[in-house]
Amino acid sequence: MTLWTHELRLLIRARLTVVALALLAILAVASVAAGMAEVARQRAAIAAIPAAQAEDISAVADYVSRTKDAGSAAYYSFHPTWDSPSPLAFAALGMRDVSPYILRVRALGLEAQIYDGDTFNPELALPGRFDFAFVLVFLAPLFVIALFHDLVSGEREAGRLRSLTALPRGGAGLMRRRTLLRWALLWAALALPFAIGAAWSGVGASIILLILPLIAAYLLFWIGFAALIGRLRWSSVANAATLAACWLVLVLIGPTLANVAINRAVPISQGAEIALAQREQVNHAWDIPREETMRRFYANHPRWADSAPLGPEFHYKWYFAFHQNGDERVADEVRAYREGLKRREAAARSLSWVLPSVGVQTLLTRLADTDLTAQLAYQDRIRGFHERLREFYYGYLFSDRSFTREDFARAPTFKGSRVYRHHSAFLEAR
Amino acid sequence: MNHFGAPPILIDGLTVAYGDHRVLDELSLHVPAGSITALLGGNGAGKSTTLATLLGFVRAQAGTVLVSDVDPGADPDGARRKIAYLPENVALYEHLTAVENADYLLALSDERKERGVITDALAAAGLQQRAWDQRLGGFSKGMRQKVAVAVALLREVPVLLLDEPTSGLDPRATADFNALVSAVRDRGTAVLMVTHDLLSAADVADRIGFLEAGRIVEEVEAVGAERFDVRALHARFAVGTERHAA
Repeated sequence: MTLWTHELRLLIRARLTVVALALLAILAVASVAAGMAEVARQRAAIAAIPAAQAEDISAVADYVSRTKDAGSAAYYSFHPTWDSPSPLAFAALGMRDVSPYILRVRALGLEAQIYDGDTFNPELALPGRFDFAFVLVFLAPLFVIALFHDLVSGEREAGRLRSLTALPRGGAGLMRRRTLLRWALLWAALALPFAIGAAWSGVGASIILLILPLIAAYLLFWIGFAALIGRLRWSSVANAATLAACWLVLVLIGPTLANVAINRAVPISQGAEIALAQREQVNHAWDIPREETMRRFYANHPRWADSAPLGPEFHYKWYFAFHQNGDERVADEVRAYREGLKRREAAARSLSWVLPSVGVQTLLTRLADTDLTAQLAYQDRIRGFHERLREFYYGYLFSDRSFTREDFARAPTFKGSRVYRHHSAFLEAR
Repeated sequence: MNHFGAPPILIDGLTVAYGDHRVLDELSLHVPAGSITALLGGNGAGKSTTLATLLGFVRAQAGTVLVSDVDPGADPDGARRKIAYLPENVALYEHLTAVENADYLLALSDERKERGVITDALAAAGLQQRAWDQRLGGFSKGMRQKVAVAVALLREVPVLLLDEPTSGLDPRATADFNALVSAVRDRGTAVLMVTHDLLSAADVADRIGFLEAGRIVEEVEAVGAERFDVRALHARFAVGTERHAA
């Protein structure tokens, strides 16, 4: 029997250690399963879009075919956009639980549509969903504390430390072996469920091979912390209490205070305020002369300026023009909002160097394309699609062309697929 | 420097100080192979520091310390390979059996023994067969000590260090233990025990040194069948501890 197997036997005989490791493994499995279920739910919702869309458009077409009015077609037709989850999204759901991953847009003013749902659930905002990232970042350190707080002090308190140290292989080498063994077991409890879930979800090997050492490094940070506290030669209880306090500061209080500080340092308005501002602009348009609205619109979009003048009756091109004017009037606010979000994210990313919990969370959500960058990229794709929608409908509206049932099929469709850098051949095979 | 023929425990002019306080003051002590030396002294006399220095836990400020020709200050692991050490309170792993504890401690000593060899040693140490595969949770101090002694027997090292080995043992267990230590001595091991227990020391030791303020102030050798004059020893011991207390 090698020293390693002796240590393993000793560890397995300690009931609390076994319970802790089993609990961590169960939590890891549960988090992976919960993440995969959530991603499957999102994929199913996205997969259901075409059928629902076809039904919806068919009903609109029935209504519009009576008048063949392009304005009615543009007004009543919703066009779905979606942000497909990446293979790794199951491990770090990130913003996918608080931001929409399906958005049905019309050719009307876009900003109100994008930011209408831009409110966060404060109960979910701090810890996030129960996913693998949550277990790793928030819970795993507690298990490190449980297994390492008394690594040396426990032997001292049991009266064994001196006689162990008096043995040729019982000094620092013994503690190194015990540390490595506990580290490996904690890592396995987290890494195995993750690796299986990742392979099943089609995550590429390169990303899996990047995250497995990340798990080990994050555990090592906490083990190092526990070793540092252990060097103070306090009692096991004092070690545990100190480490728990450090956990509270590094994982909960620190990031929360940093978030508050960043929000104060980079003040930005809520997305909903942009939606409100855009709406006010649109509502205000009803009270100003229509010619003024059209003048402004044509100044910004001269390609439609040849359109026939407005008659005394309602015309959708005026309606769509003031919606677009409304978007353009809040463009500066939108730009400032996005810039502010990016500055906040950059500030949060720089925090990673002092708060490893933030660093691990940031890296996981980046790799999983579930962070703010991914959310803004989705908005950019919506904007691009919305631009095409406007072009399509304006072609009918501003030349007073009738809109037939067949024209519905000519409307642009959203290309939802993204090329993920970590999409593996495994997913294709399935 | 060649120490051919040097005793397994050789201490010459050893000085150890904690700050300004000299715990060992030019202590000299030789424990030959196949002999038992007992160091008697009150609290703070330097008994535990002497053992700690031999085990390489404490560095000497001056003097020579050799354990079978190995300087524990320079090569603590090398010295520890030559030493079996029994602390005052033998603490083993409660959730391992007696055999498993012995197996584990031997592994930490870089030694491997078959189960049969281990159980023979446990039997030789006086541990009953039904206790061999029991977890140590319910063991008495004497039973735990027997497990530790069995490990010391199995290691077959030239030096055995005992720290207050009979404290807390009942008279019968003390007699059993002393018999075991004598058996180890007869195998050629140099045994150094530090103790408060004058009677036990007189019973088993070949030589008794009185340690006061970090130096041996008097040494007495066992002579004849009577070995030691216990009354004289007691009087000497009482004077030493009173002087130290004053």
